[in-house]
Amino acid sequence: MRIASIDWAMLETLCALGVVPIAATELIQFRSDAVEPALPADVVDLGLRGSPNFELLHLLRPDLILISPFYVRHEAALSRIAPILSLPFYVRGEPPFEKALAAVKTLGERLGRGEKAQAVLEEIATEIAGYRQALAPFADRPTYLVNIGDARHVRVFGFDSMFGDMLARLGLPNAWTDGSRFTFAAPVPIEKLAGNPDARIVVVSDVPVEARSSLKASIIWNTLEPVRKGRVIYLANVNPYGGVTAGLRFARLLTEAIVAGDERG
Amino acid sequence: MTARAWFLPSVGLLAGLILFVLEASSQVPVSQWGNLLLPPAELGLDKIILVYSLMPRAAVALVAGAALGLSGALLQQLLRNPLADPSTLGISAGAQLTIVAATLYVPELVDGHRTAIALGGAAAAAAIVFALGWRRAFEPVTMVVSGLLVGVTAAALSAAMTLSRGEYLMSLVTWNGGALSQQDWSVFQGLALQVAVIGLLAGLLIRPLLVLALGDTSARSLGVNLGGFRFAIAALATALAGFVAAAVGLVSFVGLAAPAFVRACGARKPTAVVALSPLAGALFLWLCDGIVQFVARTSSENFPTGAVTALFGGPVLLWLLPKVKNMEVPHETRNSVHRRSLAPMIAAFLLLLPLIVALSLFVGPSGHGFKVLTWVETLDLLPLRWPRLLAAAAAGGLLAVTGAILQRMTGNAMASPEVVGVSGGAGLGFAAALTFAPGGGTTAVFASAGVGALLAMMAVLVFASRRHLSPDKMLLAGIAVGSFSSAVLSALLAIGDQRSWQILAWLGGTASTATPATALFLAILCLLVMALALLLGRWLTILPFGPSIAQSLGLSVRLSRVLLLILSGTATGAASLLVGPLSFVGLVAPHIVLRAGLVTVRQHLVGSFLLGAALMAFADFGARNASFPYELPLGLFAALVGAPYLIWLLGRQR
Repeated sequence: MRIASIDWAMLETLCALGVVPIAATELIQFRSDAVEPALPADVVDLGLRGSPNFELLHLLRPDLILISPFYVRHEAALSRIAPILSLPFYVRGEPPFEKALAAVKTLGERLGRGEKAQAVLEEIATEIAGYRQALAPFADRPTYLVNIGDARHVRVFGFDSMFGDMLARLGLPNAWTDGSRFTFAAPVPIEKLAGNPDARIVVVSDVPVEARSSLKASIIWNTLEPVRKGRVIYLANVNPYGGVTAGLRFARLLTEAIVAGDERG
Repeated sequence: MTARAWFLPSVGLLAGLILFVLEASSQVPVSQWGNLLLPPAELGLDKIILVYSLMPRAAVALVAGAALGLSGALLQQLLRNPLADPSTLGISAGAQLTIVAATLYVPELVDGHRTAIALGGAAAAAAIVFALGWRRAFEPVTMVVSGLLVGVTAAALSAAMTLSRGEYLMSLVTWNGGALSQQDWSVFQGLALQVAVIGLLAGLLIRPLLVLALGDTSARSLGVNLGGFRFAIAALATALAGFVAAAVGLVSFVGLAAPAFVRACGARKPTAVVALSPLAGALFLWLCDGIVQFVARTSSENFPTGAVTALFGGPVLLWLLPKVKNMEVPHETRNSVHRRSLAPMIAAFLLLLPLIVALSLFVGPSGHGFKVLTWVETLDLLPLRWPRLLAAAAAGGLLAVTGAILQRMTGNAMASPEVVGVSGGAGLGFAAALTFAPGGGTTAVFASAGVGALLAMMAVLVFASRRHLSPDKMLLAGIAVGSFSSAVLSALLAIGDQRSWQILAWLGGTASTATPATALFLAILCLLVMALALLLGRWLTILPFGPSIAQSLGLSVRLSRVLLLILSGTATGAASLLVGPLSFVGLVAPHIVLRAGLVTVRQHLVGSFLLGAALMAFADFGARNASFPYELPLGLFAALVGAPYLIWLLGRQR
């Protein structure tokens, strides 16, 4: 079956089921931002997620196109090319990992790979349980999950983000509890991280080059208790809008870093 | 000054103070404010945040607001155009473009050199605009048009760069929105010094500015060196805007709103407007920032203040509009333009169109370049290609005719479809659909964009239908709606979830969503609008002469304006629903046509229509192929095709 994926989370889900797509969007960015899963070089790049190249997609003659509700405005055009399957991952105010798991099941059934999907889901559960166990000794300290925007702003991941949801599944409390109608990734001024001085700060994905030296010089960043006490962890790039693979990659990187005592200032 | 003139600023000041004290005391109780001057090492984190974040933030808001207010007042006085401000001159967009480009291509340079880069962009944009205005002694209309061209081109390039990258640009999104949060006093110190120096220089130039307000002819007879003073004032205003952009990002609307507020409070003399605008700007930005912080504390939603100034400023301006004193624009004699016969130009366009159609249908990427497709390949791709080609051309035609109508009707060179607020309204509806019905499907998105466009148009119509409403005010009403919309969109962009990418994509515009049905609909609509516009040609000939002449010729100004606006609104709404808010073509095509010598109403309308269609069709071809398979925004290509030509024409003028 020739499958093309417009949505990155669907792309991950497809790969997790052991199927290689014929085409997907923004592969340059995907390989640098999401890293996993590694895609073969012959997967065709369909261009931007915001405006995928319909002509190229048409010429590739896919049998199925994977999207999510974020691509609503392309639904009509895409369904003229091939049948589409659209599954939701990110809904404001709802933890996304359950939806990512459901997507594995639904897509697996659609592709006649129900058993594989079941196996994948069991594997995921085992893996998470393992990480949870490894992290149990560290579970009394709350954790801020952030992504550095510039020297004055961070994105904080709440419970309805993939990272926040995974953090809860790993048994670690999220230090960011402000407001229940929290967006998945709101840019907030850095001083808002002062709310919980006992927390650790986990910086997910590389700090933008243009913010590195100003962040180091920032009085407020350096006054934050976790920074002073060296409780900051820097993780490699993970796609914040991914599916099960991104969730697991985050869980693995986080567990490895915490267990290895990689915390620094 | 009237009682209200005192009442408004006092209420503003009081509200600003209350908001600041609320915010500050929630950080550190007022009773403990005694020992805040200790070195940072001896302060607790709460006090550090108060002293190194909240206080400098308020100070920066005040000084940045003052700078923008002064900049806007100087520019408005200088160009004798109540719509002029740093953003209409392209200065802010220039700063934005260099920051975006630097972040993408030389990120190491941005770290630590942000100010220099933004300032360089602002200066470059201003330099281009001034160079274009130079030959015509900085004639107001030329300046505004050049500024818009430079601004739109820069904004389109920035958007294209942002789109072609992706997730990493959150800091740009925040920066673009004008985030005022501070980490220490350095930004304030730098900005305050810069603004103080420029404020002093501006004080020295107040007298010549007074003379300029009398009009070119009078000023010349008084022996004022027009070019020199205009250059000096424009340089000061640019520097102010550049410094603010460098320090806190793009804070929209303050430069436009502050002088308007001052005039609404009763100030008439140019001296008073220029002197009071910094105060109004400072108060306005401080107040907006106070509200942003209040909202952030109570609901944990953080919006960039720059976007919020427009959010508050838009409605406030609508409310103030009836009170705004008309700024008299002394009519200068128009440079004579050669009248040409329509036939050769039409012939040129008729040759141009089939060429573009052939390019669009028969050329495709071969993997490493372009090739002429075989007949079979063409037929295979035809169902995908003809709708977008037709839709793009029709949308271009619609927007261009709308632009021609609006520019004729208002006699303002800046009038373009986005000015009626329709594109802005469609954008609001689009944002609403994404927010409240993310799974609603294409129909929901289009329907709510349509409803948004209609509501925005009606809001502007309410103002237009009042008697004695000058074209200037109508434009201000449209701009208020437009900036309200872009504020909402920037706020959504700044929230930074995946809606951002849809909004960015829509703002850039793409014809790829066109279906056969929508393309045919647009094409038919476009013929209807054209026919109606030609029928109403007499109105468009008479209206530019002003309401009194129109009335004496037996034309109901009110009725004709309302009908023309409905026509424009429908045309723009339909076009922007399908291919995004591509008002650029609506601005450029009528200008190119006019400058090419098609000056009668009929020539102007038909020429704009054909050129708009050709421009947009070609832009769609370029957008598809320039960076295959990565499709670029249609608006970007329209800008890159049209702007250089218009800039060249501007430069060629005496």
